[in-house]
Amino acid sequence: MKKIITILISITLIAVLFTGCNKPEENTIKIGASITPHSEILEVAKEILSTQGYTLDIVEYNDYVLPNTATQDGELHANYFQHLPYLTNFNDENDTHLVPVATIHYEPFGIYAGKTKSIDELADGATIAVPNDGTNEARALLLLEVQGLITLREGAKFTATILDIESNPKNLNIKEIEAAQLVRALEDVDLAVINGNYALAAGLNVGVDALAVEDKDSDAAQTYANIVVVKEGNEQTEEIKALVKALQSEEIKNFINEKYNGAVIPTF
Amino acid sequence: MFEQGMYELLAKGIVESLYMTVSSTLFAYIFGLPLGVLLCVTDSGGIFPIPIINKVFGFLINLLRSVPFLILLVFILPFTRMIIGTTIGSTATIVPLVVASTPFVARMVESSLKEVGSGVIEAAQSMGSSVFQIIYKVLIPEAKPSLLIGGAIAITTILGYSAMAGFVGGGGLGAIAVNYGYYRYQQNVMTVTVLLLVIVVQVFQEVGTRVARLSDKRAN
Repeated sequence: MKKIITILISITLIAVLFTGCNKPEENTIKIGASITPHSEILEVAKEILSTQGYTLDIVEYNDYVLPNTATQDGELHANYFQHLPYLTNFNDENDTHLVPVATIHYEPFGIYAGKTKSIDELADGATIAVPNDGTNEARALLLLEVQGLITLREGAKFTATILDIESNPKNLNIKEIEAAQLVRALEDVDLAVINGNYALAAGLNVGVDALAVEDKDSDAAQTYANIVVVKEGNEQTEEIKALVKALQSEEIKNFINEKYNGAVIPTF
Repeated sequence: MFEQGMYELLAKGIVESLYMTVSSTLFAYIFGLPLGVLLCVTDSGGIFPIPIINKVFGFLINLLRSVPFLILLVFILPFTRMIIGTTIGSTATIVPLVVASTPFVARMVESSLKEVGSGVIEAAQSMGSSVFQIIYKVLIPEAKPSLLIGGAIAITTILGYSAMAGFVGGGGLGAIAVNYGYYRYQQNVMTVTVLLLVIVVQVFQEVGTRVARLSDKRAN
């Protein structure tokens, strides 16, 4: 029995050795990504990279843990699905050493018209719906602050809730509602601040329908931009440099702007 | 113990929870009590058997009871908007709460009424009482303690349903527990809201049981 195992292992090792010789490993970049829009953006990068002699192998994930553990284990060279706060938290909790190499895009929150058609027409005591969970509510409130509708307590930032509203000159009635429910509640409120993906799913177009959108230079856009992540130490490999260059090219920028109409915005 | 403003939020939450729960229970009984009586009397062994009516209403009630509250809440939003004019806020939550709890109340009422001994009913019938007289003078008075205990159970269940009101901005203690305790890991907020809910349920239950005992002529 032992002998058979030894023989089997030897055969496997030899096989691996030979295939290893034939495979142009250094020219293949294996990247894990979420499906929309990440994988769609990577498909365009794949074409750019192929003209430079690189093969981009895109592995799609529906999950937010596996692409990180696979990158840590070396099964993936990189991944593209998360934002920095998520990565930092993931590194802390799982003792992984993953680092961001480039920011690519963000999906902006927008203010949408319900019963009131513009921000200027907002009456005293008007109702504004915002998401009810963690960072989503904070991003919504920050956007309202940027529009001059409210001011938030200093230092509240991405943990802001309605309790952190310091001044509310128009006496706005801010309602916390489940994020997925916001579009449905739109006709019952004056305005609603809605996540890009839920607006998109309900057929609202950030670029066209939103009265105000998170700016590219805003804290929220910078903090919640989606990043390309690699294992620490791999930041400077030729493959990764080529990947980042391809992803931050004019071609990708044009593709994103045309395809997503403002629901996805390039950060570079 | 809490950040600024949380006390006001909790106080508002209690008021909203009680508002939603009490008014929904009231409406659920306005619709559910007659429905429960109908189910009881039209049953094949009832005082005025009409099996077809009994089957139809029984089926409708089962149909509504099989929809989970959260789904119902979202599913009947257009209906809610038609009645209240909006789908958000505590008042708008009362509509799905009533729709969800009326069938439940009807079944509770039905089972309470069925507990009434056939002896008293037969006695009333032999004296020439009409169906309505039997309902008002025999069934309901006789079943009163059981109906009141059922009421305490119903109001507690409705309070439980109302915890999901946060989904549509209905507020209440449940919404605070979810928005702050769950989504933002504020364990103290979670603990306090749960404690408050426990107290509210205890009060409802205790009041219900006492009133039921007082109304029970067998015990007095």
